[in-house]
Amino acid sequence: MIETFKSVIDTLSAPTVSFTLLTLLTPLIFPPTDWFDKLNRKLGIWRLWTKPGLWAGMGFITFFFIVGYFDPNFNITLTKPDNFPIVLMVYSMFFFIWLGMKKAYINDDRLAEGLKPEEYNDPDDKVLVWPDLVYIEFISLILFMVFLIVWSILVAAPLEEPANPASTPNPSKAPWYFLGLQEMLVYFDPWLAGIVFPMFIIFGMMAIPYIDTNPKGDGYYSFKERRIGIFIFMYGWLILWLFLIVIGTFFRGPNWNFFGPFEYWDPHKVVPLNNVNLSEYLWVKMLSTGLPTNIMLREFMGFLVVFAYMFVFPILLAKTWLKDLFEKIGPIRYTTLMLFGLSMFSLPIKMYLRWFFNLKYIIAIPEWFFNI
Amino acid sequence: MFNNDERYWDIQKLNKWFAISSILFLISMAWTFVDDNDDEFKVYQREFRKMEIGITEKNLKRELEAVSAERISFEKDLARAQSDLDIQNETLVDLGAILKTLEGRYYNENMIYQGQKAEVDGLKYLVEAENAHQDDGDHHGPSNKNDYAAALELLHKYQLIKEASEIEIDDTEKAIKDLKANVKLKREELNIVLKDVTIVDNKLSKIDRERMTFVNKVGDVVRDLPIIDFLDPYYKVNQIVVRDVKYDVNFAAVPKVDRCTSCHLGIENPNFADAPQPFTTHPNLDLYITSASSHPMDTFGCTSCHAGRGRGTSFTSSTHTPSNDDEKARWQEEYDWEVMHHWLQPMLPTHYTEASCFKCHNNNLDLKGADKLNLGLSLVDKSGCNGCHLAQDYPQLSKVGPNLKNLDKKVSRKWIAKWIRDPKKFRHNTKMPSTFGQDNQISPEMQAWNDAEIYAMSSYLVSENGGKKSTSDYRFMGDAENGQHLFESIGCLGCHVIEPDPVETETSLKELTKRQGPNLIGIGSKTSAEWVYNWIKDPLAYNPETRMPNLRVNDEDAKNITAYIMSFRNEDFENLPDVNLDEMSLDKVAFTHLSKQMPESYATKKLAGMNLNQKLDYVAKKSITHYGCFGCHTIDGFEKAKPIGTDLTEEGSKPTIKLDFGLHHDIDHTNFAWFEAKLGNPRIFDRDKVSPTLDKLKMPNFDFNKTEIEAITTAILGFNGNKVDEGIKAHNRVDEMAQNGARLVKQFNCQGCHLIDDFGGQLVDHIGAAEYAPPNLNTQGAKTNPDWLLSFFNNPSIIRPNLEVRMPSFHQITDEQWNAIIKYFQHLDNEKISYRDELTINEHSIEFKGGEMIHELGACNNCHFYGTTFPKQDASTWAPNLALTKERLNPGWVKEWLREPQTIMPGTKMPAPFLPTEDLLTIDGAKNDWGKELVKMNGDTEAMLDGLRDYVWSIKGKTNIDKTIQDYFNENGYDFSGDEDEDDWGDDEDW
Repeated sequence: MIETFKSVIDTLSAPTVSFTLLTLLTPLIFPPTDWFDKLNRKLGIWRLWTKPGLWAGMGFITFFFIVGYFDPNFNITLTKPDNFPIVLMVYSMFFFIWLGMKKAYINDDRLAEGLKPEEYNDPDDKVLVWPDLVYIEFISLILFMVFLIVWSILVAAPLEEPANPASTPNPSKAPWYFLGLQEMLVYFDPWLAGIVFPMFIIFGMMAIPYIDTNPKGDGYYSFKERRIGIFIFMYGWLILWLFLIVIGTFFRGPNWNFFGPFEYWDPHKVVPLNNVNLSEYLWVKMLSTGLPTNIMLREFMGFLVVFAYMFVFPILLAKTWLKDLFEKIGPIRYTTLMLFGLSMFSLPIKMYLRWFFNLKYIIAIPEWFFNI
Repeated sequence: MFNNDERYWDIQKLNKWFAISSILFLISMAWTFVDDNDDEFKVYQREFRKMEIGITEKNLKRELEAVSAERISFEKDLARAQSDLDIQNETLVDLGAILKTLEGRYYNENMIYQGQKAEVDGLKYLVEAENAHQDDGDHHGPSNKNDYAAALELLHKYQLIKEASEIEIDDTEKAIKDLKANVKLKREELNIVLKDVTIVDNKLSKIDRERMTFVNKVGDVVRDLPIIDFLDPYYKVNQIVVRDVKYDVNFAAVPKVDRCTSCHLGIENPNFADAPQPFTTHPNLDLYITSASSHPMDTFGCTSCHAGRGRGTSFTSSTHTPSNDDEKARWQEEYDWEVMHHWLQPMLPTHYTEASCFKCHNNNLDLKGADKLNLGLSLVDKSGCNGCHLAQDYPQLSKVGPNLKNLDKKVSRKWIAKWIRDPKKFRHNTKMPSTFGQDNQISPEMQAWNDAEIYAMSSYLVSENGGKKSTSDYRFMGDAENGQHLFESIGCLGCHVIEPDPVETETSLKELTKRQGPNLIGIGSKTSAEWVYNWIKDPLAYNPETRMPNLRVNDEDAKNITAYIMSFRNEDFENLPDVNLDEMSLDKVAFTHLSKQMPESYATKKLAGMNLNQKLDYVAKKSITHYGCFGCHTIDGFEKAKPIGTDLTEEGSKPTIKLDFGLHHDIDHTNFAWFEAKLGNPRIFDRDKVSPTLDKLKMPNFDFNKTEIEAITTAILGFNGNKVDEGIKAHNRVDEMAQNGARLVKQFNCQGCHLIDDFGGQLVDHIGAAEYAPPNLNTQGAKTNPDWLLSFFNNPSIIRPNLEVRMPSFHQITDEQWNAIIKYFQHLDNEKISYRDELTINEHSIEFKGGEMIHELGACNNCHFYGTTFPKQDASTWAPNLALTKERLNPGWVKEWLREPQTIMPGTKMPAPFLPTEDLLTIDGAKNDWGKELVKMNGDTEAMLDGLRDYVWSIKGKTNIDKTIQDYFNENGYDFSGDEDEDDWGDDEDW
């Protein structure tokens, strides 16, 4: 029984399977349109945001970790002091999303009935900063300090000896909060995954309030009033960031090979990765010639594709499917949204291209350290 | 306080939460302190303190008992003196009162004097200024000269008053002191008696809280309180900074810091020899730890030898390594021990600690005591490890296997093929390792493949018609029985054994000296009588690289020995099936090698163009290259081939993760476990691998036993990158030539026959009596004249006339090497001088004449030859030719030898000459008995020894008497059994 569970989990957690499943599940859990919403209601997924849903979710996570704890292979990764925050993160992320969604659903119902949201307060009814705000902040602060101190006492810092360039650990892992970035490095060149994307993430989040000027849902929880925004954010945050961290922590073993959580991390494992560049597809596979010596000629297809994706595609969208949006928010906001949004979606796109076509780079100019 | 109506939260409730969280916070802070100060080493230090108190109390008791009788009288004396003083108590009190008054008076007088002195100094300045400026008219106002004179006078007056009081005080003090003098004296005497008690007592009062005053008790608690404990804590981390041994932090080298003594508290205290770990005393304080030893702790620390994480202050973090599974299980239970994966060089398990000696002592010369390492290094040498594996700190001296260039003359192709296939079938304890028939070669395809390789190699080494000579050619064979006698008596057993069946022996350095050369079994099945005969006559003619010396046997003896050796046959081996040639397999091997060099289509073409001989030649060359046969053997065409194995120079510090443990998990992931497994079965890490044939592991199997594996592993662990500063390397202090000499002595197995540096000479076990065995060379460096020694080495002559065993000629040792060997002998005896002026003798001196007399009385000619003059006694007691002495020996050594032969060479049969004492020389008639010169010398030992030595130097005669002696023994033989125990002088000597 447990072994079956383990092998099912091992199979499901293969990045292709799990990533696809989660990508498909996200619109069902955070339905961006009426159609998904209907499906969500029909399948009863919304029940996740009720108390039984909380217990079921927490129960499943706990069951997973308990089974993992008693599994000799998963135990090694699970009990590493480095990975303690990930366990905390899994619980806390689920709890806070549950809390927010629960409140949002309640408010959505209230709003539908014409009532005010739960958090609504009479503007005249004010609360004093001291003691009402500062006092509870202070108490929280003390309790959090207690938590940090006890943590630091019980779990020794995972410090190691001075780094030895002749003997690097296998696998070499970034600190847990950077494991999402490290996972992106599997699919993108370092300048993109290590520099451009992190900056886009920061600037993109800074830009959100300027792009999304929808005044609804301000000061209270609500899902229905900004469901597309929440869906996009949740996809980026949960799948493209947190899930990649979980993959990096629990599923990446020696030689950065993929291992299911209950698999033995065998350093001898070899997985063939024969990746092919777009230019090679074009010239070698389709046209059956060698690669042109002129770099620009060689990569013209890649440039074309990237150009189309980043510049032509938004224009087409603005003329068709997103016409309303474009008219509503105007060209500057629209362009900004497209820049960040298309960059974000380039990650899953690139992942699938890799998995299905072994595509290495769309533009591959190693001579200039320029690969996309 | 607050009006709750105005509040969003219930303040009372928040107050409660605040209280709870504050208490939790306080508890967590307290916990932090406890956790921070609850170090493992402190637990040990507290326990150690208790033990130390116990031991010190015992010591105190012992010291008190030791002086208990003695102290009584001293205490009585003290009491008496004290009572005498008590009687005069009144005087003492009075004097005390007087002294007090005087001191008060003096204090005042001195104040007045000092005040006046200040006045005087002020006026002095004014007067000097006045004098200086008088000439230039700058001086204004009245002169101070008179004031100054008056003040000076007053000062003088005060001084006298003050001095008067000083004298009075001194007198009174002296009177008091005199009264107390006796008591003080007696107390001092008692203190001297109680000195040891006081030392122990003081120590005890420092560590035993119960013996402390209240204030000290408080202090003792407070000094170890958190935060304050940075000042002067009792429980603290003890550390040694080792400046000359560096810890490599990859981009910098920092001095080693060893904190081991934080828990190993009794390490240098012999009182803790029986204490449990971690308190026990170091087992070898003579050599380590103490400041008087050659490895003091302050200079070498702990991890320089034991390795491990010196900074660790807990059992696990100092990376202790268990020696075996039982210990591991116990540690896991008792200490929660686990491997610290991130520390690349964990502590060496105790049975491998000797490995660390190598980084400072990388030669055989001064590794006495490190038997395991020494054995390991010797095995590395004798097994030829560095033929394939480079070890820069321990380079190979020469190839260990025989030269294979003239193999045609020696063996047949069939024999060599069977031998390569499984050498142990021919000689069970051969040093030739088994390359084939190993664990990763058992499949039928592999066997066919290997047979093709073997066949090719054999036909490369020996032509099809080679070595086919008669094994019983009587032109070269004499009497086997006679041969056996010669074999056993002339010294062959110094290096060879004849062991038809495996013998259970513990491998040791001594055993290795017995097995320098091959076990001479089965030779009759291997080669021809002609070859054996020629080999015995002149080994270098066949193999210029051999270590086999020339024993200078005559033709007849050589024939006899040949007959004896050829009598050993190995019929099982003869009956083994031949290695047959399967051309298909040969093609396969050839094709595989070819296609590594060129595209397959070319390889096919090339192979098709080769005839059988070309294929054999090609496969042979490839196979020899593949298996690295040239690591041990000189082979035609492979003179410049590079070693094929992994470089072992820093193997001992290679991170364990770089060792391939294969797919199985039954071997501990430690470097030494890997080496052990590899040495035990070199192909073990190929288990269940499906590597292509040429990628399979190929290290041959030496069939090492457990002792050997452990010894070699020690040596490999010693080859590491942990470098120490040049200054503390022991081998830097020894002449490189002497070090080379030491290795040459090992290489040529001198210690198989001779005792050198207190090791070796196993041949005596065969000969029976030490006096007929090769000489003890313990003081050789101080004893012989290097010039003579070199000429002797190059052309050995007979020194000890009645030895049947003979010094062979090592013509393969060059003069440079002989010099190194001589240098090594000199190093052992701390002999600095190689060239000496000739000893000048005054034949008319009293000493010389006295020496002559002693010589006559000592009847040296009973045993010693004088040139060709035979000794008076018969051959069993014969001793060296005295006419050779001045050429051969150093005068200084001879004098010491004559003084006391037994101290120089324990067990020698040479008696010390009788030297008359002063008493004997002063009785009447002494002149008649001893001669006038000796009487004049009046028992001066030095002069008599000088004289005797000088006399010996004057003895003339032929120095090389080989022929005379040989003629005698040819006629009479070496059997002395009939004439033993002749008389007291019948003792042979051994020098």
